[in-house]
Amino acid sequence: MIQTTTQLQAKLMREYYQDFSRYAKGKQPSHKVAWVTAFTPVEILEALGISYIYPESYAAVTAASGKEQALLNESERNSLCPDCCSYSCCIEGSLITGTGPRGIPPKPDVLIATNNQCDTLPNWWNILADRYQVPLIVLDYPGEGMERESAYPYVEGQHKDLIRRMEELSGNKLDPDRLSELIGNSRQSVSAWERVCGYPAVKELPPTLLFDAISFLITSRCKPETAELYMLMEDELKELPDADRSRPALFWLGYPLWYHKDRYLSELLKDFRISGSNYITWWSLDYSGDTAMEQLFSAYNYTFLNLKQETKTARLKECIRRSGAVGAVTLHNKSCKCDFVSAKDIDIPQAELEIDMIDREFLDMERTERQIEILRESI
Amino acid sequence: MQILSFSGFIPEQICDTVRFTGYPGDQKISHYCGYAADFISQVLDDPEINGAVFPRTCDSSRTMKSYMEGCGKFIYPFHVPARQDDLAVSMLSQTIRDYQNAVERYYGVTISEADIKERIRLVNERNQALSALYDRLDELSYYSYLEQIHSLLQKPLREQNVIEPDRAAGIGKRVYLTGSFLCDARLVRTIEDSGLKIVGDDLTESKRLFSAPPVSTEGDLYVSIAESMLKDRLSPTQNNFSAILRKDKEELTKKQVNGVIFITQKYCEPYDYLFYVYQKMLEEMGIPCLKLTRMDSTDHKNAETVIEAFVDSL
Repeated sequence: MIQTTTQLQAKLMREYYQDFSRYAKGKQPSHKVAWVTAFTPVEILEALGISYIYPESYAAVTAASGKEQALLNESERNSLCPDCCSYSCCIEGSLITGTGPRGIPPKPDVLIATNNQCDTLPNWWNILADRYQVPLIVLDYPGEGMERESAYPYVEGQHKDLIRRMEELSGNKLDPDRLSELIGNSRQSVSAWERVCGYPAVKELPPTLLFDAISFLITSRCKPETAELYMLMEDELKELPDADRSRPALFWLGYPLWYHKDRYLSELLKDFRISGSNYITWWSLDYSGDTAMEQLFSAYNYTFLNLKQETKTARLKECIRRSGAVGAVTLHNKSCKCDFVSAKDIDIPQAELEIDMIDREFLDMERTERQIEILRESI
Repeated sequence: MQILSFSGFIPEQICDTVRFTGYPGDQKISHYCGYAADFISQVLDDPEINGAVFPRTCDSSRTMKSYMEGCGKFIYPFHVPARQDDLAVSMLSQTIRDYQNAVERYYGVTISEADIKERIRLVNERNQALSALYDRLDELSYYSYLEQIHSLLQKPLREQNVIEPDRAAGIGKRVYLTGSFLCDARLVRTIEDSGLKIVGDDLTESKRLFSAPPVSTEGDLYVSIAESMLKDRLSPTQNNFSAILRKDKEELTKKQVNGVIFITQKYCEPYDYLFYVYQKMLEEMGIPCLKLTRMDSTDHKNAETVIEAFVDSL
């Protein structure tokens, strides 16, 4: 039976949140639970039947439901510095108060953090380890800065060590064929998503849809329904009217604003259209290689934020070129300096905004309006 | 060769570097560690400095290279593993080799095995001498002790002769310093002038500098250096907060500390996260804590006021 995008999204959401619901009702999760960062090789966990939860993603959901400010204040009241990543402040507030839009996530059996995105996340996972007193595994990805011949054995060794420890935790034995199948699913999800990402440049399509839809690539990339969902989405996007070329195209350089109903400053950008964004390309992981170990290495060692500056600049410029944007809204995100530093060599007119993707009170609206006005004049 | 090094993770056994202590720089980057920004300023502006080496251990240091590229100097990011197991030792030993090769290529020098062995011996001896001083902090001026270390770290290893610091009687409430590099030793003078007695620390240039196990000159030298570095008292950037808490708790108890001063830089996430669990540990131990956040490597604003208030609270 052919399903609709709505049905597929509902199914993926239901599966992802099933342990939240059980936990909220006082029941134990159906499987062992890992809390993971957004670029964790979850194919390994999925193959071993371990549930994985993304606290970053849950912080975004919390802000989208308008409940973040009280939680941010609570974490600050408990001495977590508000300069820290607001994903962590929001979740810590949630754990302190025991509240969240879907309750609090089920207690982890293991914490897994990677540094292929930033070095802040492993630090955050340390405070979670202190709270829950469960094992913390940090996966260290040297990235493009280290020669492949040195980096590969190091990363492969860590992946094998992760498999061994997760086999012990789950009581299951890894089936190599199953792992390859899941990596294949991820590859298909990425491929289908990349086609979807081309549409904001040519169709009348606000970025909201893609900012929300990428959550499935983050939380469910190795499930077959994710590729299916994006293929159906593409069919729907083809039917949209062509982009209104009379409005200048802008590139959204930074995170979605999770607290905003449209995920971007739609009220200030009515005269523009957003034709692209770097955030929606971050999970375009490259699973190339002959073996499962090589594929996982390629995908997770060479994530966008783990590349050299010149590679990041080249990729960003290509992304912007393909979007046809003549200007950019660049977010100096309080919570993620790695992101805005990667955009430092972009040479189209930009409005550089001091902002946060979770904390709505961080934005100085008057100043932002002036910056957008200057951008409008300069393009 | 005048290479400015950003942290204690740069192996002194390979070649001399000038340890960054502070610089009144004009690099200002949003939400970016002021200490790291001042390091970038010195590399770019100081004609005496012709190279920079820094670990990729936090979000500021991992993006540092992008601000220094193209300056025509030797710019070397040094990958320090985020874990401490055998895999990490093996990887770090290779990183140390790569660093040596890069220095040799850029500066046209040869670093022999004998050179490294000699430097291992000198580092071991210096650390032993500093450790002996640390054990006698009760009778020494901590300011004099720390000033000496800052001065030593600016010099070539062969000139790093440890001398006896000024003496200071062991009176006053007993405090422990922890945090990142204490760039501005004036802060220590302010603490001592306020009547507090500094009896220990977990600072990167003091306890963490010399508490690494001595490096063996037997076997693979690079593996020995890597093992020693990773068995050092840990930095929060190495993602083992529980080990830091355990070791500091032991020392705080042993030294009967009355208060802790936690020094950090604005926008330094590793220490901000560590503080969150550290202050909980101190609360459980009944030890008051002062968090002193500095804006950059030369910031000394309001230090007297907040320290005086802390003294009153003790």
